Amino acid sequence: MLQRAGAGFGSVGLASLLAQEGLLGANAADPHAPKIAHFDGKAKSVIWLFINGGPSHVDTWDYKPELEKVDGQELEGFDKQTGFFSNSVGPLMKSPFEFMPRGQCGKMVSSIFPKLGEHVDKMAFIHSGYTESNNHSPALFMMNSGQPRMGLPCVGSWATYGLGSESRDLPAFVVMSDPLDRGLPKGSAANWGAGFLPSVYQGTWLKPKGDPIENLTRPGHMSSAQQERQLDLMKKLNGAPRDAELEARIKSFELAYRMQSAAPEAFDIDREPEHIKKIYGVGKKNCDHFARQCLTARRMVERGVRFVQIYSGGMENQRSWDGHNDIQGNHSQFAGETDTPIAGLLEDLEQRGLLKDTLVIWGGEFGRLPLSQKSKKPGRDHNPHCFTTWMAGGGIKGGVSYGESDEIGHHAAVDKAHVNDIHATILHQLGINHEDLTYEYNGRRFRLTDVGGKVIKPILA
Amino acid sequence: MVGVHSMIFQTPMQKLIPIIAFFVLVFSADARELTSGHAERMKAGLELFQATIRPALVESCLKCHGDEKVRSGFDISSRELLLKGGDSGDAIDLAKPKSSFLLGLIKHEEEPEMPPKKDKLADTLIADFQKWIELGAPYDKPLLEKKEGKPGAMRVTDSDREFWSFKRLANAVPPTIESDWATTEIDQFVFAKLRGNNLAPNPPATNQARIRRAYLDMIGLPPTPEQLKAAHSMNHAELVDELLASPHYGERWARHWLDAARFAESHGFEQDYDRKFAYHYRDFVIKALNADMPWDQFVQYQLAGDEIAPDDPLAMMATGFLGAGVFPTQLTEKEFESARYDELDDMAATTGTAMLGLTIGCARCHDHKFDPIPVKDYYRFVSTFTTTIRSEIDIDLDPEGYKEALTKWEVGHADLVAEKSAYESKPEVIKAFNDWLKSDAASLVSASDWTTLEATEAISSQSATMLTTQADGAILATGKTPAKETYTVKANTQLKEIRQVRIEALTDPSMKRKGPGRAGNGNFALSNFKVLSVNAEDKKQPLKLVSAEATHQQNTSNLSVASSFDSNPDGTGWAVDAGGIGKDQAAVFKLEKPLQIEKGTTLQFELRFANNGQHSLGKFRLSVSGSEKPPVVVGGGQSDSLNSAMGAMLTGILLPEHRKTFFAYFAKSDVGWKKVDAAVQQSLAGKPQPSMTKVQVTSEGFPPTKHHADGRGFPHFYPKTHFLNRGDPNQKLGVAESGYLQVLMRNDKTTSDWQKAPPKDWDRTSHRRLGLANWMTDTENGAGHLLARVAVNRIWHHHFGRGIVATPNDFGLQGTLATHPELLDYLAQRLITNGWSIKALHRDILLSATWQQSSAASPEKAAIDPINEFLWRFTPRRLEAEIVRDSILAAAGQLDPKMYGPGTLDENQQRRSIYFMIKRSRLVPMMQIFDQPEPLASQGSRPSTTIAPQALLFMNNAQVVKWARALAASVSAENPDDAIRELYLRTLTREPSSAELQDSRAFIKTQSASYNEAKDSRQLALADLCQVLFSLNEFVYLP
Repeated sequence: MLQRAGAGFGSVGLASLLAQEGLLGANAADPHAPKIAHFDGKAKSVIWLFINGGPSHVDTWDYKPELEKVDGQELEGFDKQTGFFSNSVGPLMKSPFEFMPRGQCGKMVSSIFPKLGEHVDKMAFIHSGYTESNNHSPALFMMNSGQPRMGLPCVGSWATYGLGSESRDLPAFVVMSDPLDRGLPKGSAANWGAGFLPSVYQGTWLKPKGDPIENLTRPGHMSSAQQERQLDLMKKLNGAPRDAELEARIKSFELAYRMQSAAPEAFDIDREPEHIKKIYGVGKKNCDHFARQCLTARRMVERGVRFVQIYSGGMENQRSWDGHNDIQGNHSQFAGETDTPIAGLLEDLEQRGLLKDTLVIWGGEFGRLPLSQKSKKPGRDHNPHCFTTWMAGGGIKGGVSYGESDEIGHHAAVDKAHVNDIHATILHQLGINHEDLTYEYNGRRFRLTDVGGKVIKPILA
Repeated sequence: MVGVHSMIFQTPMQKLIPIIAFFVLVFSADARELTSGHAERMKAGLELFQATIRPALVESCLKCHGDEKVRSGFDISSRELLLKGGDSGDAIDLAKPKSSFLLGLIKHEEEPEMPPKKDKLADTLIADFQKWIELGAPYDKPLLEKKEGKPGAMRVTDSDREFWSFKRLANAVPPTIESDWATTEIDQFVFAKLRGNNLAPNPPATNQARIRRAYLDMIGLPPTPEQLKAAHSMNHAELVDELLASPHYGERWARHWLDAARFAESHGFEQDYDRKFAYHYRDFVIKALNADMPWDQFVQYQLAGDEIAPDDPLAMMATGFLGAGVFPTQLTEKEFESARYDELDDMAATTGTAMLGLTIGCARCHDHKFDPIPVKDYYRFVSTFTTTIRSEIDIDLDPEGYKEALTKWEVGHADLVAEKSAYESKPEVIKAFNDWLKSDAASLVSASDWTTLEATEAISSQSATMLTTQADGAILATGKTPAKETYTVKANTQLKEIRQVRIEALTDPSMKRKGPGRAGNGNFALSNFKVLSVNAEDKKQPLKLVSAEATHQQNTSNLSVASSFDSNPDGTGWAVDAGGIGKDQAAVFKLEKPLQIEKGTTLQFELRFANNGQHSLGKFRLSVSGSEKPPVVVGGGQSDSLNSAMGAMLTGILLPEHRKTFFAYFAKSDVGWKKVDAAVQQSLAGKPQPSMTKVQVTSEGFPPTKHHADGRGFPHFYPKTHFLNRGDPNQKLGVAESGYLQVLMRNDKTTSDWQKAPPKDWDRTSHRRLGLANWMTDTENGAGHLLARVAVNRIWHHHFGRGIVATPNDFGLQGTLATHPELLDYLAQRLITNGWSIKALHRDILLSATWQQSSAASPEKAAIDPINEFLWRFTPRRLEAEIVRDSILAAAGQLDPKMYGPGTLDENQQRRSIYFMIKRSRLVPMMQIFDQPEPLASQGSRPSTTIAPQALLFMNNAQVVKWARALAASVSAENPDDAIRELYLRTLTREPSSAELQDSRAFIKTQSASYNEAKDSRQLALADLCQVLFSLNEFVYLP
């Protein structure tokens, strides 16, 4: 059990929190309860750009010249049940995009990332990721919670359970989904759920329309002074609290009152100067929505929010990066929606000195097959055996690549990186040993990385 | 790594492994042995081993680490094995003896503390261990003779059955105490424990606090001022009985069991489809608790209600328990089997935790690390559910009510029938009929190509539809129209040869747009039509149809008359929209070969309606013809009986059946007869029908609930369950037969002792779950005693905020020990003795001085027992999410008391919170914010957090503001003091103090002045006060 647990979204009732399942009785009262060996993490915050639907690694960051040579050939021995559609498996297909060397490191990058390509020297690429499901929802759960099942706490919940938050006025863990009515990622809120952790650690989903957070706005008929009078009266009528828990409750109203002004301020990106908005692409037709979310993310971490996750794309098929049909059109569109905003985010974080302690992650739930999926315009089906993800900032080495896929990008081949390893690395950057961050529930001691996970050291600065 | 692996266990040791490994590499143990003085060290070590270490290892460690078990893969039976370490890595560090993990464990510096659940070893002994390790941890010989069998395979022995929670209940006698405080036997146990810890209980709570506490605790609502007044004039026992009799009791306490049952009304995962009929399980729990259903029956119904009492709707509703878990709705072929094993795991794991406080699910990939549950027991347990699936079936929820209504109807109907036959026997009627026979009857006859059939039997495959035969041979369908059904009609004919068959689709005012179909637009779609001849030996012969013609068909392809006997029985069929609705229609089908009717041959017709929901025929008539080409028309047929009656008339001898046939024609023009007949017909139309409701059940042999992956061939279940290596469906190790947990079987009983073969006439289910239910509740040889312990602990937990065992979902080694073990056994025994009555248990608890004591804080007592485990006071605690919201609604007079039925996600609804629909992807924010758990796995206790969003809700939430206004509007604002008094009573169950009155009065004054622009400024100010009262600690804490 972690001694430093607490402080989720303005959490103040730690003692009662620990009382669940007798934790207080078993541990907190026991001075010998094991303590976690914390170390100084490089990252204070995480911004996870979730490339929802499964981005194709061979069309983005994992350049495969061999695939050009075998274009159009059948892949012998291919298991047709690898992807989602077993009856529309096509031949091997080269990327429809050109690749060119970018940055100092000369990383080969797909032409769909003209702006993002400028930042490759900040990024560490993991080309050998693999997962355990060929289906969106289990794979999303896998990527978010370490297991392809519904109901386990996600990375953001574990991180805030472990570290709390440095912001008292804002949620510790914020999630933004597609604001263009294209739906939520498959499995929706379970992707940022706290599972068996106290619900205080679940991600706060910002509503794309109206007030982003529930109950944040004073009732319309009431002035600030009138509400203050209510709170004054409440304080009087509550009297002197006889328990710490009751005192904490009184304090929570004061905090709530402050949040009413602090939170909307933090969400109000129109306070940003024009030149800042511009580098994110705010106002640009195809990427305005994502630009606003990236800018919001920066404002969040600036104010001490621990964990931010932004989903690019909505549900599936053409509503996200799920390019079953027309991989060229699909990926061009979604890269276009995110290229400038993410590049802007990296630039802005860096110029403010925030990048060094903000871990930025780019990645989806799985990769896509090097084969085509038969369709009017060829697409690509799911590939659980290989994907690429990159990290930047937060103590990550820039301009490096870790692991390799095989020659055509079908399987992870060299230095394979399980999802658990990626999670172990994220926690490590936050100063948490993934093996020691545990939670006891129904008789088991759970961890994010189950019984696996090793930190991918070569990408650490 | 296996995808399904979910068991997570690690010790803090693991972080040390790399360090240890490093040192062992550099200074190997062998290097040390070359140092001088080796022999002396060895000798000293062995002496120590023989003197203290060996006895300690044998006494405290060996059983679980080498002999009966090898827990955590750590075996100490020989030095070699000791040095090998276990799952958590090395235990002995010869290079740095003081850092040895083993020492940390026995010093209780590392987890799990060893020996488990026992006092720490003596300090001198621990010092000996350290010394011994420093001396190289020598053994003179292994602790055990050579072990047999596979190392590590877990055996469950009688000593495992002696673990405190698996033991039989002790006959616990309340300790004798000297105290006036104690009023019940519970108090004797509690007082003795308090005294033993130098604590004294608090005095009784005030009457006001006691009454408020009783209301909130028992029914989850505060008392109204009237109820408060009445309660003051009752003694406490009367109050408790009154609350236990309230239907609100079930609504409050059901919620706790729903947490344990991970109940929700959607599938979860990608689409999170609704389970529209899952709410019946919630209703079952409420009804069962309100009826004080014995707990053993409550449990049995949930496991096997469909096998125990298939005719009892409650038993069927109860089976919702097993199927309430999450299930993916989008599956690829590769996931089919593992998804099914996950589902079986969910059933087994939830059964284990909710009913027995046992983490059975931990034994999925390997023997349980802590509890005596071998992996084989897991798969046998899981196998019990092999063929168990979710289904949605039609159930009459009120069979008694139906029976009663039917009996009543039958009496009334018989009178009308008697009246009709009395009319028919009247001399003047008989005379008129005889006159008619002489003058008019002959004009009826006109030779027809069509002979109308008189059905001997007409039934639908769906019980909701009733088919009744009319005087003119037509058949009328009534009742609730099912989505799909098949009509089967049997008839005889006197024709000798049949070549053609006709269906007349007839209009009737009972249908939309007069029909002839029962669909919303009056249409029908006959997706498949079959004609069979049945000979005297009941042998059926389908007759091939070759062509068909109709008076109208909707199109010439998939809705044509020909498509009703094509190769697609459900997908296509004869329909009559596009001009044919509201009119009688006919279709004529030609037989491939003429059918010769021999003696005893009957005809059977099957009309299937399946290609569109509720597209059955509402009224139809069947005719046959021996002609080559009879006309394709409606009407013009005559029945066999009329044919023979006309024949008889020619001979001049009318038999009674002939007169009866003619009478029907005569009666059509007799005003008096029409009147009595109409009464009979009207009564028939009003015949009570069982009211069928769709219910989600978890059973066997019913059609599975429709699934997204049905199109890919998802089988829903596999006929056999296998033992799996490491939980991986790709590594099967043989078939697992159904079985239960060995550790909870006594006196050499085995699984088969609880299993009973199903009765001869029963083949829908396997009765495997019935065996499980028998074992679960068997207090002699099965799991009954643990079941009772876990049940009473749950009830205790929710009364006091903390169970006697603080981990209600874990009674295994990893769970906490009981603070009052004798009390737990006493209550469990009493539960069984009282016929498993939960209400009796509540009564015992509420009548105790322990429950009635005040919640006053005391720094002195808190210094000894900060978390009140010994119950020196009643622990004040925040109300649960549902009670917070329900209390606001109740205080505001806005609570809608309607019980049961489908729930809603609408936060504006005013029913109790238990009637929110629980949709996994859209949990109700107000519930979540106050810690209602996610319904994913069983939850034994909720955390109680205090967070700013809760405060924001009280300050700004639209519903809270609305209900505050409703409360303000319900009191008279004329005299502020009266209004304040009334509001205090309604919200806090008491009068305000003079200071409170003064503060509130001042607030109303200033606040209404600040609303001076509004015309209802006083009301707004009062509403603001109400909102403050809702927000007070006192309102949301149990006093």
